[in-house]
Amino acid sequence: MSSSTARRGIYVDQAALLCNKGCGFYGNLAWGGLCSKCWRVENPNSRAKQIEEDQKLAERLQREEEAAYAGINQGAQSGNLSTSLSKPEAKRNTQKSHPVPSGKNFFSTLAKTKSRDVNVPSQPPPTSTSINQQPVAESDQATRQFIDFLKTLHKPGRDIFKQCHAFCHSVAYKKDLGAEDLSESVQDFYQHLSERLNSLFKGSPERVEAIMDEVEKYITLQLYEQAFCPESADDEAKDLTIQKRIRALHWVTVQMLGAPVKQEIPAVSDSLDKAITDIIEMDSKRVPRDKLAYVTRCSKDIFRAIKYSNKDAASADDFLPVLIYVVLRANPPRLQSNIQYITRFCNPRRLMSGEDGYYFTNLCCAIAFIEKLDAQSLNLSTEEFELYMSDHVSPDRPQARGCSYPSSSSSQSDPRAGRLENDLIEWGDGMEASVQDVLKELHLDSCTPSTSAIDSDNIESEGLPPPLQPQVFAG
Amino acid sequence: MAAHSTAHRTYSFKVVLLGEGCVGKTSLVLRYCENKFNDKHITTLQASFLTKKLNITGKRVNLAIWDTAGQERFHALGPIYYRDSNGAILVYDVTDEDSFQKVKNWVKELRKMLGNDICLCIVGNKIDLEKERHVSVEDAEAYAESVGAKNYHTSAKLNKGIEELFLDLCKRMMETAQVEERTKGNGTSHTSTGRRGVQIIDDEPQAAAAAGGCCSSG
Repeated sequence: MSSSTARRGIYVDQAALLCNKGCGFYGNLAWGGLCSKCWRVENPNSRAKQIEEDQKLAERLQREEEAAYAGINQGAQSGNLSTSLSKPEAKRNTQKSHPVPSGKNFFSTLAKTKSRDVNVPSQPPPTSTSINQQPVAESDQATRQFIDFLKTLHKPGRDIFKQCHAFCHSVAYKKDLGAEDLSESVQDFYQHLSERLNSLFKGSPERVEAIMDEVEKYITLQLYEQAFCPESADDEAKDLTIQKRIRALHWVTVQMLGAPVKQEIPAVSDSLDKAITDIIEMDSKRVPRDKLAYVTRCSKDIFRAIKYSNKDAASADDFLPVLIYVVLRANPPRLQSNIQYITRFCNPRRLMSGEDGYYFTNLCCAIAFIEKLDAQSLNLSTEEFELYMSDHVSPDRPQARGCSYPSSSSSQSDPRAGRLENDLIEWGDGMEASVQDVLKELHLDSCTPSTSAIDSDNIESEGLPPPLQPQVFAG
Repeated sequence: MAAHSTAHRTYSFKVVLLGEGCVGKTSLVLRYCENKFNDKHITTLQASFLTKKLNITGKRVNLAIWDTAGQERFHALGPIYYRDSNGAILVYDVTDEDSFQKVKNWVKELRKMLGNDICLCIVGNKIDLEKERHVSVEDAEAYAESVGAKNYHTSAKLNKGIEELFLDLCKRMMETAQVEERTKGNGTSHTSTGRRGVQIIDDEPQAAAAAGGCCSSG
């Protein structure tokens, strides 16, 4: 079928495809059978008309968009607040989603300023747009979800939004706020709000909890950039320290920790792999509650691994060593930053009493253990421990601990593999250092010639005329 | 006197389980929450975090029981676990003198870190092995009283004394919470009564109040 239609296409008369004017170029039906050149000659005004039409379309789309925004916000808050919130965000949204300036984009922003002047002449746009430098789409979506959620609460919802919004703004201005101060003010806000909600919704603490969860989500998403791994705290340094520490402990085995998992069973190692993935995945979430959910998922995977190892109902005695092992294997990115972020900005009740809180506490314990770990805590002699730590000797895992795979080939290849691993790690460290050095040099270099022109060292261009200056045209 | 404000609220308590490796912490809590012992049909995947809902004299209580790793090498992690807990259950094995010593260490540490805000229960488990007992009842009772705790005798195997242990603990935690609330809730006008209320508990070791509550209930 398709081949026959294709062949039929060939039979179309060539003359029918050419420009009606007979200039030799191909014509186009949309231009009345003319080629683009002839069409422009024939219709000198069409271009202007086209631009005008585009602009009209852009304006119409803009108006529709704004109407939709107003519709969302009206139910949840007072008019002033809605416009002050939605406008800059909508604007930034369009700007960010079309980074390449196109004609259409130009018109749509033009139309936007125009329509804002028409609709709300008395409302100047808020000066602060720095409240969230994060991907606007996400926080924008979060705001919309938050508003949708609060809609179900009617009047109190409006009040809650006002408070949260005002709070975020007030905090966003205080750039120099230390991490602990920021945490304190956020926690104060939670406390204050939940007290009010408790008196508002007497007798339904579940409802208050649900609202507080949404509030937490909204606020942490708004403040994420400011709150996660802030410059004022030494979180980043701690991240690197623990990362190095975990790397140095790569030789620790399940047996040394006394973890009751039999890795040779496929289901067990699968579950452990899942646990490792989940604990790494924690870093990708932005809301403390979501991060906690990943810690819980990781813990559940661990319990499954323990169960497959033929133990029933794992106790903390079983769980903690396996968790430590998983953390050592995973070396989760920005571990301390994540812990600090959750501790500082999560609803304290969840951290202190809930199931999530329990697993989080265990994770904190695991990290504390890894930080302080010594020969005694692994049932090793001091000499052995020093030897492993100094990377001169890799523990012959199967032989020394006398378990899992007794085949001679694996016990022979293992130290070599360990040595290769060490080499790789050392190489990585070395590379990191040299990259840092290069970056430092680059930084120095790039500072000095920053004022010179691009073609300063381009000798050949000396004979060229001076560059054209941009000219301003009226209209 | 503050009964009207606390009548309808739900209490949420965090209780930590402390004790050496093989004293039967897990069996104890599994017996309490699932009523099972060494059973192949235990439904929970884990026995490290368990919850129980109770109704004590018309008040709802949510109990969250946190198991802790009992191995010696994890001893230093204790403070991370028992931070903010309302109660602690310290388990020893009546056939194992060492485990009782460990409990004594825990008590010292808990009192040092948390003061009298935490309700302590010292539990001698495995009383079904009475013949092999190495920790005398008198010693345990005397020690418990000296540190403002209460001693309990349980057997997870025979399901003895466990229900009583948790019920008693809950009542004591509720008392502590009420006292705390009263002192907090009372404004400047009632400070004198509020303070007096605390002092009664503070001056007498907590055992006095607890023992009274226990006798009246049992």
